[in-house]
Amino acid sequence: MTEFGLIIETTNMNPYLNEHIQALVQPDRVHRDIYEDPALFDLEMERVFGRSWVFVGHESQVPKPGDFFCTRIGLQPVVMTRHSDGKVYVVYNRCAHRGVKVVNEECGNAGRFMCMYHGWTYDTNGDLDFVTQPEGYPDHEFDKVKHGMGRVAQWGSHHGFVFANLSSRAGGMKDWLGENADFLDDVAISAPAGEVEITGGVHRYLYHGNWKMQVENLIDMYHPAYSHESSSAKGGQQFTRRGGDKGGIQFFEKPGRVKSMDGLGTHALPNGHTWQGGLPPVENNSDDHREYVRLLEKKHGPEKTKDILIKKRHNVIFYPNMAMQELNPHIRVIRPLAVDRTEILIYPVKLKGAPEQMFRDQLINLNKTHSPTSLVQTDDVEAFARAQEGIQTSGNEWILLARKGPEERFNSGRIRTTGTSEEGMRNHHRAWLKYMCGET
Amino acid sequence: MSVSKPGSDDFLVLRLEVQDFLIFEVGLLDDRKFEEWTDLFTDDGYYWAPATPDQDDPQSSVSLFFDDVPMMRTRFARLRHPRVHSQIPPSRTSHMVSNVTIDGHDATEGEFLIGARFQMLEYRPGHEQRTFGGRYEYQLLRRAAGDFQISAKKAVVLNCDSVHLPIAIPF
Repeated sequence: MTEFGLIIETTNMNPYLNEHIQALVQPDRVHRDIYEDPALFDLEMERVFGRSWVFVGHESQVPKPGDFFCTRIGLQPVVMTRHSDGKVYVVYNRCAHRGVKVVNEECGNAGRFMCMYHGWTYDTNGDLDFVTQPEGYPDHEFDKVKHGMGRVAQWGSHHGFVFANLSSRAGGMKDWLGENADFLDDVAISAPAGEVEITGGVHRYLYHGNWKMQVENLIDMYHPAYSHESSSAKGGQQFTRRGGDKGGIQFFEKPGRVKSMDGLGTHALPNGHTWQGGLPPVENNSDDHREYVRLLEKKHGPEKTKDILIKKRHNVIFYPNMAMQELNPHIRVIRPLAVDRTEILIYPVKLKGAPEQMFRDQLINLNKTHSPTSLVQTDDVEAFARAQEGIQTSGNEWILLARKGPEERFNSGRIRTTGTSEEGMRNHHRAWLKYMCGET
Repeated sequence: MSVSKPGSDDFLVLRLEVQDFLIFEVGLLDDRKFEEWTDLFTDDGYYWAPATPDQDDPQSSVSLFFDDVPMMRTRFARLRHPRVHSQIPPSRTSHMVSNVTIDGHDATEGEFLIGARFQMLEYRPGHEQRTFGGRYEYQLLRRAAGDFQISAKKAVVLNCDSVHLPIAIPF
């Protein structure tokens, strides 16, 4: 096949055929192009972010009718709204007329959305409300929905966590979530009120690297002893970062030893989701924690409460764009900006009904660990930028993801293996391949 | 010491005292004398850089910085670590402080409320030079002429709610 033939066979000037893409992801390594080729990035926006379910926001961000929250799916601006019917909608943030972004504030409340350019006005479910000076369109019939801002193909929520899918041919949200739904159940039940709320602001930071580097890093238990050496004292004691910590948690025994990390385990799920086993519990004798336990016991009894308090997972990835952690509960949104630019947004998750002081401590801990001035994330950001630079070399075109441990397979499709195994990353790339080369 | 009317000699002297102290204080950061900078704070003092311009409370939402003294010590101990990768090479800063105003005085506590404007240039080799700027608000305790302790320093950065690359040195 000639180069010329290749190009005319594919649509929108995409130079990649599926067989080329498949060659980039091998069982134990991936090609550097997936992190640095702008053409592949464009394809990812269309096929990964356009075909997978993607985290949009949480219903608590739009509690009242007329509330809206602007975000993106891939590079596409969308608005999550609460309409007058009380339901949540996810609509494209685009005027049906000339394509202008309609809603320009990140969040707020509105009776209707009016486009700044020619005044076309929409309901908070995205339907066209009216066109200004309609007599100028004698040959054009306007339809509320067809000429609305446009709803995304599918959306749904689980415990208020809203996910959307731009493809009408994709399977349902529940199937996509799989066992990650159990995690959201665990998070919700750990709130004495049985539900969580997104509040307390947002940490946002930038890095000069590909978005997939953050996905990989989140389930990388191999790196902390080296990347984060500066944030731990002798013996691996880190600074205090959760309730009950005395001199800080035993983050790793000492540089070079990763045995304790292996014990935590990595769990690779279908659709690219991955989670790590929870960190060992610490005894917490603070008044707030005792009150928290009392509230849970009142509702669930001591036996169930004991189970709720055991954190079974550390980072949980909802592939491709969200991760959540129960240690100082927060959501991390991964927002690709360009092939080598990524924005991270960290939203605190409040356990409703828990003592207020617990949330205040949680926020202070998140300043230490997840802000642009963090003692931890800043070293990850440095690693991503140096990786983005390092892979420009032509001496070696491959990124090695061969690290392994004993594997156990479950009926759900989940694979459990060691904490420092790179199985989680291989799992992401398998999902990536599925979306990139799949039909939906 | 009571605060006299603006324009009086006492007032001018006090303002110059405060101004000299602030110039000294931010100079410690530029000279990487982080431990000495920390020592300027009272035991229960804190440094706060809100994450939004209108954030009125460091406890109900997240902040860029919200450090008590033990946290400052942890932060700066890390900056001294030989493998603090995100600061190899380290950032250089140049702080400027001006437009100093004496906004209040609590005679019983001996505390002065001070306002100022600042700019901080920051350059880490290999990266674009950055410019941060905004408003400082201080609560200072005056122990003797020209000798202050910081019970609170707040830096409201103009673009605090933007998306930032890592920030290592306080504003």
